[in-house]
Amino acid sequence: MNIHEKLPTDLKAIPALIRDVAAKLRELPIDKGQLHDVRLCLEEALVNAIKHGNKFNPNLFVEVDIESDGNSLSISVADQGEGFDFQGIPDPRNPDNLHKLSGRGILLIRSHMDSVDFFDSGRTIKMTKLFKGRGK
Amino acid sequence: MKIAEVKSGDVLICALEGEVDINTSPVLRKSFEEIIKKNEKKVLVEFSQVSYIDSSGLATLIEMFQRLKKIGGVMRFSGMNQKIKNTFEITKLHKLFEIFETKETALKGY
Repeated sequence: MNIHEKLPTDLKAIPALIRDVAAKLRELPIDKGQLHDVRLCLEEALVNAIKHGNKFNPNLFVEVDIESDGNSLSISVADQGEGFDFQGIPDPRNPDNLHKLSGRGILLIRSHMDSVDFFDSGRTIKMTKLFKGRGK
Repeated sequence: MKIAEVKSGDVLICALEGEVDINTSPVLRKSFEEIIKKNEKKVLVEFSQVSYIDSSGLATLIEMFQRLKKIGGVMRFSGMNQKIKNTFEITKLHKLFEIFETKETALKGY
């Protein structure tokens, strides 16, 4: 399975992409729980790219690549923003940060995926989910 | 997402149905704002018909929890499925909120 999409910087573009991806994922050996996890992580990455990466600039785009070899699923989400210090993200689980309204997306992604890496100064996130019995 | 409000004594049960995400959170926020305007002090957010929540949904709940607290109110949660419960546990928000297995246990002693 191979999906490549170029999305406008618009949160309203997310549901249609999620629906298309979910329909294709159902053809893979992936259970309901894993489908939930993939959806959550893809959505969190897209929201981050639109809000924090492209900062809602309508002249910029978000590129999404999804690949599967039947054993795992790889998702790459790239924005065109200024990048960010992905190693310096405050821990939202810290009691001082529990009341904060943002900063949980990356934690959720790391918790639901088997590997997460950043490239291009944080503009691109690549995450991998191993299929049932092989990973989280 | 649908929101149904029912009173049980002095507790307002706010039963959510569907998905609480980046697209539906504004609807939830608007509904909570109305609840605060009506000066409801005890709110139970019922999750048994909620299938999905993302970080935007969590943020909306935190925001409303804080606003209710500021006016002397309390917000409890009940009926979460395992995936949603996991999301609260991963983010440690289960330490911030009062989360109950069922609506009935949440209403006890409220």
